Amino acid sequence: MAWLLARYTGLANILVLLNFALPRLLPGDPLDVDSAEGMNAAVSTLTAEARAQLRATYHLDQPLTGQFWAYLQDLGHGDLGWSISQSAPVSQLIGERLPWTLALMLTALIIAGVGGTLLGLVSAWRGGRLDRLIVSTASGLAAIPEFLVAIALLLSFAVGLGWFPLHGGRSVFAPGPPGSAGPLGTFGDIAWHLTLPALTLVLAATASFVLLTRGMVQAILTAPYLTTARAKGLAEPAVALRHAFPNALLPVLTLFGLRVGQVLGGAIVVERVFAVPGLGLLAFEAIRARDYPVLQAIFLLSSLGVLLVNLAADLAYRWLEPRRGG
Amino acid sequence: MRITRRSLALAVLPLVTVAPAASLPRPAVLARQSTPATIDLVRLGWADVGVPTPFRVSTAGPGGPVLLTLLYDTLTWKDEEGIIPWLATAWTVSADGLDYTFDLAPGVQWHDGQPLTAEDVVFSFDYYVAHPYRWASTAAVASASVIAPDQLRVRLAEPYAPFLDEIAGGVPIIPRHVWAGVADPLTYDGPGASVGSGPYMLAEYQSADGAYQLIANPGYFRGPVLVDEFQQLNTPPETQIQAVQQGELDLAYTPDASVAGLFADDPRVRVFATAPQSIVRLAVNTELAPLDRQEVRQAIAYALNRAQIATVVTRGEPIVGDGVIPPESPWFNPDVPTYPFDPERARELLGGETYTIEMLAGPANREPELMAPMLEAVGITLVTERVDGPTRTQLLREGNFQLGLIQHIGTGGDPDFLRRWYAGEEANDYAQGSFFADPAFDRLAREQATALDLARRKEAVFQMQAILAEELPTIVLYHRRFYWVYDSTKIAPMETWGGLMNGIPFVHNKLIFLPR
Repeated sequence: MAWLLARYTGLANILVLLNFALPRLLPGDPLDVDSAEGMNAAVSTLTAEARAQLRATYHLDQPLTGQFWAYLQDLGHGDLGWSISQSAPVSQLIGERLPWTLALMLTALIIAGVGGTLLGLVSAWRGGRLDRLIVSTASGLAAIPEFLVAIALLLSFAVGLGWFPLHGGRSVFAPGPPGSAGPLGTFGDIAWHLTLPALTLVLAATASFVLLTRGMVQAILTAPYLTTARAKGLAEPAVALRHAFPNALLPVLTLFGLRVGQVLGGAIVVERVFAVPGLGLLAFEAIRARDYPVLQAIFLLSSLGVLLVNLAADLAYRWLEPRRGG
Repeated sequence: MRITRRSLALAVLPLVTVAPAASLPRPAVLARQSTPATIDLVRLGWADVGVPTPFRVSTAGPGGPVLLTLLYDTLTWKDEEGIIPWLATAWTVSADGLDYTFDLAPGVQWHDGQPLTAEDVVFSFDYYVAHPYRWASTAAVASASVIAPDQLRVRLAEPYAPFLDEIAGGVPIIPRHVWAGVADPLTYDGPGASVGSGPYMLAEYQSADGAYQLIANPGYFRGPVLVDEFQQLNTPPETQIQAVQQGELDLAYTPDASVAGLFADDPRVRVFATAPQSIVRLAVNTELAPLDRQEVRQAIAYALNRAQIATVVTRGEPIVGDGVIPPESPWFNPDVPTYPFDPERARELLGGETYTIEMLAGPANREPELMAPMLEAVGITLVTERVDGPTRTQLLREGNFQLGLIQHIGTGGDPDFLRRWYAGEEANDYAQGSFFADPAFDRLAREQATALDLARRKEAVFQMQAILAEELPTIVLYHRRFYWVYDSTKIAPMETWGGLMNGIPFVHNKLIFLPR
């Protein structure tokens, strides 16, 4: 156990170093700013002296070792730094964006996980034409790049039919006094905005749950305990749900856990296409702006998320299968 | 798979309706509409431009500085014809061109009700020395002093011809009572951080959404503000035009000329084409062989069918010019050397030599594919290296390139940028990659910057354009218009002389929100 924790602490330290180094390995500089997709136009008359002054302000003039030491000290105080491109504390930016990412990703993951698992179960149990239909549809959808699915949904349901909004996570500056829409109105508005982005993620993520569950259930279809269950006179749905399903569940839960670990990275493509103000969009903007402090913080969050889920999985396996030891 | 095909077909459908390009209405055709009496709300589609104070706003593009022009005022301003009085009602210039004396408009108040006086203006210039305004440099200002509560003097270090346009008309005047006690404006978000004297007051900035809500300033010194509320919303460029059509936005832009045809019969939504204030050009590293030879640079210019490239990319009438200053600019010299499409002449200049030349381009640029076969035909193999913006800027700055394909605005503004580019004084992205040393050009560049006489200045700027077109340290591919799609029942776009401030082709000059 001690060895396990030491291993994870070591990994976390390596991650901090990587998260510091990777953004700085990108060519370019946080002060080499391109217009945010707008006019491709920096016509600012920033002078060379003003530029040098800004570099000093953001400690970009210091050697890398000095910058790393300052980063570690700030991190030790729980300070994630100051965004160069947005001129705001990184913790504030992340705090504002995190709820959007969690709402979007977790909703999509739960729908994809539950729906995909049930579809996989049905697929394996019923077999035949239904099985082929479910498997080919799910894997077909998963094979289309996410951005293509997102754009197709956007073009058909928002642009074409006008059923959903074109962009954003909610209606900003809604008329009337703040809160006049009521909690239900606010929830409805957000749900309306997040439907297409969540659907995109669901379509992409369902297949892996379908295929995994289907494979697991197929492997135990001829198991003697199922024959016993049928011999007891149980109906097919009861056999499937009560006897087959629990035995196939463990790997599915592992997959679900791994996906939860990846949630903190946000969904860059989907958030960008639908302009959902989540961590993915923040990361996208920060990469383009070479905003080192923001990139470090997002990388740190998402890599620690994966690490923690792995640690939890390691501990859970140990508990479930003491023979593995360690 | 059936589902897949069906959703793809649905996806393609709206694209097909967008595709046909139509003939281009010129700005004259898209005449200004008279502004209705009062309008509740106008919404502009743009990006998040950061915290709206002069010290925290994003200067990565023009959207932030333009938003500030609604919250803050400047000493001078511009209409369709040229520079006009604004906070300053009148000014005089000393004979040596160093001292500008400004008379301030009476009764101007800050958004919090405090009076705006000469103290505030002088304070602003003093404060910007230690805390520069990133969009417009005040380095040319030596000092500022109060003469009377409504009169002040600005002293320049040396005569500076663009002063009234770029500094007096570009630097927001900030309230002394807010900023005097602020040591670090980069982090300041206390009371009054966005208090200006402009026609709009900041009601709310939703930082996660990148959305700004501005409400009309009831005590504005230039009269009642005609639009009660202005919002700037963060919208993806891909769906902005659709958002105007669906009534979610009232104003948005695209560089794609074919948009004009989309709304040709629309009673509500119209398209306003700006003057060509955006340029697509090649930065040339004149210090590396073979591009250190003028005839090779000229051969490239002759080899490229630039009208064809412009037509394919912009889907509109091509605007090809060999000068960096665009046609329709008051500073445009129509008599610079030209390079019509002439592959034969290009081959002659190359004298049978063949070359391989590398070019930096952005990930989405379509020009390289069009240029490569044209250059191949005269014996130049074009190798394109696609990199993102910051990477390209770094390579250009380090001189680590042969050709760099860049596109930017600002060329329609005051022409002093030509001097700053090649003197290495400008630190923005698009000044990088300017490698050109020519004594005659340098002399003219200094002369126009300090010229007190407009005619003499214009003559110098014309000669600078002629030298650039002859020597080609940058090869202009084409000039572009921007197309602003707008709800004609709510807003009447306006073309500002030389672009807003230093050549920004935005059409919501604050004048359109005011009675005229």
